[in-house]
Amino acid sequence: MKRLIVFLVAAIAAPAAAQQAVPVIAVPPLASPADKQTSAGSTLTIAWQATELIAQDLRTTSEVLALPPNQQKDFYSYPEVTAPTFSRWRAKGAKALLTGFVQARADGRLAVGCYVYDTEKGTELGRTGFVVAPDDWRRAAHKCSGLAYKSLTGSPGIFDTRIAYVAKSGFGTAQSTRIATMDSDGLNHAYATSGDTLVTTPRLSPDGDTLAYVSFGGGQPHIVIGDIGSNSERPLVGTALPSFSPRFSPDGQRIAFSMTNGGNTDIYVAPANGGYPQRLTTSPGIDTSPSFSPDGRSILFESDRSGSQQLYVMGADGSNQRRISFGGGWYAAPEWSPDGEMIAFTSRGNDGLRIGVMKANGSDPRVLTSGPRDEGPNWAASSRELIFQRIDAAGRPGIYRVTLSGGEPRKVTVPQDAADPDWSGARE
Amino acid sequence: MMRALTIAGALAALAATQATAQLGAPRVVQRVLPGRQPPPPALTGIDALRADFLARTGGNIVYFSGDSYGLVPGAKTNLAAQAQWLRQHPEVVVRVEGHASTLDTRDHALALGARRAHEVRDFLVLMGVPAAQLTAVSMGKERPLGANSRVETVLVR
Repeated sequence: MKRLIVFLVAAIAAPAAAQQAVPVIAVPPLASPADKQTSAGSTLTIAWQATELIAQDLRTTSEVLALPPNQQKDFYSYPEVTAPTFSRWRAKGAKALLTGFVQARADGRLAVGCYVYDTEKGTELGRTGFVVAPDDWRRAAHKCSGLAYKSLTGSPGIFDTRIAYVAKSGFGTAQSTRIATMDSDGLNHAYATSGDTLVTTPRLSPDGDTLAYVSFGGGQPHIVIGDIGSNSERPLVGTALPSFSPRFSPDGQRIAFSMTNGGNTDIYVAPANGGYPQRLTTSPGIDTSPSFSPDGRSILFESDRSGSQQLYVMGADGSNQRRISFGGGWYAAPEWSPDGEMIAFTSRGNDGLRIGVMKANGSDPRVLTSGPRDEGPNWAASSRELIFQRIDAAGRPGIYRVTLSGGEPRKVTVPQDAADPDWSGARE
Repeated sequence: MMRALTIAGALAALAATQATAQLGAPRVVQRVLPGRQPPPPALTGIDALRADFLARTGGNIVYFSGDSYGLVPGAKTNLAAQAQWLRQHPEVVVRVEGHASTLDTRDHALALGARRAHEVRDFLVLMGVPAAQLTAVSMGKERPLGANSRVETVLVR
């Protein structure tokens, strides 16, 4: 019987392993030193729920294959968390193993720890641990998923990230728009604005705690900065000039944006916590959609100074502006990938708008989506996936995810029509 | 809804003009004729003002093609009529609202709408409308309406 199960698991794992050797990880149930009651249930119950969530997180990626956890057959003891029997998991076809524990503390909080091992070498690849309120066990589980993903791929995971977007209801002049935020798995959905003002372009700070967006309240579009979880809001710049297209620097300290003066739109940068804006471009064309490089030293943007929308790079002080897109066609709304290797853009043509990527030096542009009304790509923390807006054949806007490896975009489930998504970095 | 009201108001105003004409006081709606302006009618309420504006100027919307922001001759004729009306109603506050195509990308559309609105505002000022009467704003592609490459002259109050 046991042999049969091993065979079956190996048969399931084998085809995936054959495709470019996607690493297989076993995710047996997290252990608990003692099954104690907490305000969110018993520690063993939480441990099992966390295990299922970790396996589910990893299954949403195409870079890691998680074996389905089995609550009875995969059981291991608490001491085995840090001293696993590697041969047992090797026999299941797993090259990697995630173990961990959930422990009730005397102060009423939970200690959650996770370890990732290479079952072939018998070595530890990484570990992480947290003390959280019992109700926050999901966040700790997402961190364990992120540890496994990073240990196996080298890239940050997207499991403990946040998504912001514009929720839409109604049509035409009666349309109501609200900025909404949620965890990347759809939980903790909340609205950051009330719906009586037209809003666009939410942008999350890298840690996901601060939000910049464009409000049309008072007539002119202007950038508003708000802390998620509190009602404090303020305008980014204290002028009456229209401002829009905000993006945070990788350290969250600065915001690059567009401001229009006398009909001409240029790129500026200002401290995120308030301060005087510095003008970076002076061309008579439209310069907009700035995006920082991961090291914060360069800014990528679009400009129609040549007659059509093209991508340019400059120093973060505005120096050395140079065009990088030469593939023919129009390129707009660029974003630099978190690993610095790629640029995502909206391809604008006579037959519509599509999402594409190119190398960071502007070479090898390729289109990822079929359009014809796809726009505004933003990177996942993993640099392997994009979130974007699509208006479908029925005219309904929604938000979608597409991986760099291609395939059909997946629609992200949200309560209403949705537009203009942004994705935070991996939270520390 | 507001649009429906505005159109209904315009029709009512037109009907009133025609009724006047039948009573033997034929009057041609005049375009740009500086120095020979008909006396401003006594109008009250923003809806009546809007209806009169539409009837006397031939429309409150000028259109653009592609990503252009230059004014074509037809647009200039229309704006000249708008300017004449606005000079006669210096108390009316106006929002010059620029829009761009839904086939444009969001940020570029916002910047292009601002550029178009600025172009129209500058032309109205050139035609003698006090700058203080006018505010140029862009709605980008957030308020689509049929042909989206347009600038609307919206009487606010």
